[in-house]
Amino acid sequence: MKSLIAHSIPILLTLTFASPATAQTPPPKQGAQTTSTASTDSHDLSGVWQLASGGGGQGPGDNFPPLTAWGQAKYDANKPGYGPKAAPGGNDPILKCDPIGFPRVVFTIWPFEIIQIPGRILMFFEGQHAVREIWMDGRKLQDDPDPAWYGHSVGRWEGDTLVVESNGFNEKTWLGAQGQPHSDQMKTIERYRRIDKNTIDFNLVIDDPKTYTKIWNAEPRQAKSRPGVEIQESFCVASEEEEFNRRIREPAARPLGKD
Amino acid sequence: MKNTSDRRIVFGTLAAALLFLSASAAAHHGNSAYDEQARVTIKGVVTEFVWTNPHSQIYLDVKDKNGTVVHWGVETNSPAILTRAGWTSRSVKPGDEVTIILCPAKNGAPIAYIGSGDPGTKVIFSNGRELDFKDRTAPAQ
Repeated sequence: MKSLIAHSIPILLTLTFASPATAQTPPPKQGAQTTSTASTDSHDLSGVWQLASGGGGQGPGDNFPPLTAWGQAKYDANKPGYGPKAAPGGNDPILKCDPIGFPRVVFTIWPFEIIQIPGRILMFFEGQHAVREIWMDGRKLQDDPDPAWYGHSVGRWEGDTLVVESNGFNEKTWLGAQGQPHSDQMKTIERYRRIDKNTIDFNLVIDDPKTYTKIWNAEPRQAKSRPGVEIQESFCVASEEEEFNRRIREPAARPLGKD
Repeated sequence: MKNTSDRRIVFGTLAAALLFLSASAAAHHGNSAYDEQARVTIKGVVTEFVWTNPHSQIYLDVKDKNGTVVHWGVETNSPAILTRAGWTSRSVKPGDEVTIILCPAKNGAPIAYIGSGDPGTKVIFSNGRELDFKDRTAPAQ
């Protein structure tokens, strides 16, 4: 997966334009029932979902294992806008429109769509309009892949549970809005199990010995179906965010009386 | 107003006078620059509505009790979230007279937040029309 976008755009274009009926039909109004959430097939996760609020907030939580010295230094350098270290301003990488990355993207306040196609599952996130590929064609993870914002992911079904293993992350993203760090040694295992028509149980294990002294089992969460919701164009545009920072974020974060 | 610092102090005082606490207001948004426990009401004339990701913005001119015009910037949600709450890019226009119930910046600057994480924040037009942040699509099930 050298280029996520290069791989994803043709797929999405195919999905969008393959059907003549689709091409000639005006887009449905927001709120129309267009997602396939009626299925209760345990191997069918397709549809629009959103993580329910719960422990961890916009990240895998603050209950992380003890940090290594390397991890502590990285955590100390992170200045988030959320959680126990929250302060105005800060250096959250997404304030510059850096890619949110995985796993943080799952924990945002925006919905995501799961698209199942032969050999792949696509997670299409409203946040930053990002696509993540999970390869379901039996391939194995490379031992030492090139670093990527969303890592490299392979999945398989174990009974009614989708198990996704990932590695090959760069070190530029945070695990959550609270500034939890990770390294390029991070490996993750996700488990998705559809327990009823509208609910997926989601579990995440983070194994990053360079950053954390123990394996981190994030707090279990649930994704809820969002019938009627369509993923909208939510790019983060650097030039627009820069202007927002200048007009809103920076003056709101200045100490009182300073210009 | 002779300088920005003075203006902020005066306006901070005005904001404090208008401020009321809402014990039930949940602070889900988490942006620590804003006082999400507070709700302040301002009234003014819109100068600009910026429909951009991931933060839309409303700018307006507000006259304080001395008649001095203060330019406010109000951060709000992404277009996707606003759309699901019934807004469009044309919902707010320059020249609109609006009342906004908002969470003020902690530092007293005329900057504020309104959005889905802060119940009670909303825009009220002079004809009584209101825009809030309730999701009008089917709720998460």
